[in-house]
Amino acid sequence: MQREVGTLPLAPALRARLAAAGFQTAQELLDTGPCGLSKEIGISREEALEVLQVVRQECHGDAARTAGGSGATRKCTALELLEEEQSQGFIITFCSALDNILGGGVQLTKITEICGAPGVGKTQLCMQLAVDVQIPECFGGVAGEAVFIDTEGSFMVDRVADIAAACVQHCHLIAEAQQEEDLRKALETFSLENILSHIYYFRCRDYTELLAQVYLLPEFLSEHSKVRLVVIDGIAFPFRHDFEDLSLRTRLLNGLAQQLIIIANDHKSAVVLTNQMTTRIGQSQSTLVPALGESWGHAATVRLIFHWDNSQRLATLYKSPSQKESTIAYHITSHGFRDVQPPAVTHSTEGTEPNPRKRPRTEEEKQ
Amino acid sequence: MDWDQFDLNPKTIAALKKADIKSVREVLNLSGADLQRLMKLSSADIQCLLKTVSLTLRRNSMLTALQLYQDKDHFTSQHQKLSLGCSVLDNLLKGGIPLVGITELAGESSAGKTQISLQLCLCVQYPYKYGGLESGAVYICTEDVFPSKRLQQLIDQQHKLRADVPAEIIRKIRFGNSIFVEQAADLDTFQQCITRRLSLLLARGMVRLVVIDSMAALFRCEFGPAQSALKARYLQTFGAQLHSLSTRFRTPIMCINQVTDAVSESEAAQCSCRVEGSRVTPALGITWSNQLLMRLMVSRVPLPRHSPGAASHCAGSMRTLHVVFAPHLPPSFCYYTVQLEGVKGIK
Repeated sequence: MQREVGTLPLAPALRARLAAAGFQTAQELLDTGPCGLSKEIGISREEALEVLQVVRQECHGDAARTAGGSGATRKCTALELLEEEQSQGFIITFCSALDNILGGGVQLTKITEICGAPGVGKTQLCMQLAVDVQIPECFGGVAGEAVFIDTEGSFMVDRVADIAAACVQHCHLIAEAQQEEDLRKALETFSLENILSHIYYFRCRDYTELLAQVYLLPEFLSEHSKVRLVVIDGIAFPFRHDFEDLSLRTRLLNGLAQQLIIIANDHKSAVVLTNQMTTRIGQSQSTLVPALGESWGHAATVRLIFHWDNSQRLATLYKSPSQKESTIAYHITSHGFRDVQPPAVTHSTEGTEPNPRKRPRTEEEKQ
Repeated sequence: MDWDQFDLNPKTIAALKKADIKSVREVLNLSGADLQRLMKLSSADIQCLLKTVSLTLRRNSMLTALQLYQDKDHFTSQHQKLSLGCSVLDNLLKGGIPLVGITELAGESSAGKTQISLQLCLCVQYPYKYGGLESGAVYICTEDVFPSKRLQQLIDQQHKLRADVPAEIIRKIRFGNSIFVEQAADLDTFQQCITRRLSLLLARGMVRLVVIDSMAALFRCEFGPAQSALKARYLQTFGAQLHSLSTRFRTPIMCINQVTDAVSESEAAQCSCRVEGSRVTPALGITWSNQLLMRLMVSRVPLPRHSPGAASHCAGSMRTLHVVFAPHLPPSFCYYTVQLEGVKGIK
């Protein structure tokens, strides 16, 4: 942006005119705009537009080169990727059984999809994750912020406040049990108001607003670089009516999935989507399957299906690149998403439970 | 669409007009590559176009959860709910019916669904201070005739039901004047009613409650098992239209639904009806359940054995109101009776 006008790849006559008019940096050219530029140096509007386009391309190329390039290709070995993945944080869900089958929790840089019938707990898990992503690092969290895109209007802030208050209390108990100074210090900024102020809420009323919001997300995430979670609750609702042309819907969903993958990777955040269930009529019986069709099934990296078994809620890990398919039971209490039976542990070991990052270190020390 | 008012490059504006792109929706429906081909612009220009168009649509749309939590304004706050007129029932629902979204009230016949909805039509007319929304209600009947005699009874007894409201305020409200009754016995009439009449009444601010009695009646006769896809499409369209009206005007929509027998255990499980000992599920299936924010079920149950005192007090008319699912409520229930002055919960 601070590039000198003289270094830009323009015709020499044009450069001379710019210098004579007093322009020194590329930023000044961009600020002037096409109309101003054509008046100042006496060229036609079209030529002024072409000049500005060249300037923009050059500056864009510079920025990409200095940033190490989302556009440029990077080479790295699989070992580097493995180390990167192992050091990556997980967003815990406070249900240790679910964290275990996911391999630690909801993983950053991946898209996780939660499917289930209405009332089974998808929105509850999303609200829980929006709070858990903010847990400070010394408690085993990723200390991030959350973006919540709501298409159904099911984000009830009173419920989020209850979940946040329960999380804060849980961390206070751990800090008291462990009596460490850094834990207590971290808790000073971990309060209800603080948690609520770092959940960025967007309400999209139809699919056009959703598409527009996702186009604007990369810029928003660059401005709010601490965001580590993007929730879209739910992705199916705006796309399941209004569409006579199903191929348009497939195309839009694929485009959306691609953009979300790029966002997840570039900004190191987890993307969580919730989906509805629909009935698939087979030969002899009908089954419930996730909505939006077969091709949407490829969009998410990890797929969880929530369902009922009599009056017990179950979560099945249906698709995952690294964990095996399994089913666990969970509970939704007034504190949020929890295990079915609280693990029968004493205070001291309970302290190590939500610290998955600390565990590997002690294991290595033992070795 | 007047592209000139957008903050765009004149070259882009000219290309938009030449490609005959008339709305923001058309721009967003096309992929980046399609736009490049159609408008013959570079990819940087197209990115700029998409960002500008998206910004115009979504300017100032961000709120933090803290702002939502601290919002106390009558019209926009999430804490504002529509009271049911009884403190016990309101406690079950943590305030009342949420203002944005479709709430369903399902149950067997004569369980009390119409009684509760009539009561809501009166409650909505009270001032904000007493849990109302200071506005009228629309009651859409799809099968039975509107129970006007019962409504008159309830109006006459309002002072008895709402002992918390001063008598002058009750006297001042013209209850009958603000309840608009619509009849819609088939799908087309219903569609007309929602898209024309309802939006007009809502836009003028004359109503802030919509009761539909009942959804299932519209679909019972017209669709055989082979036309389930068509039925699903209608349900989704109605659900989306009602949802969008509810969001635009912050108006609760109460849909009354009937129940059918649950043939197998798995069917009952699918609709997540955890009502104890109940073998019924709400009609219209999972397609309709996906459109709902909150589902309530009412039933007449045998008198509870462990409270003989209550049994002698209201013999035979004890009912339960269950919260089946809601994003802010645990599955819970309470008892209530239907009396002359209306529906009253029992502690």
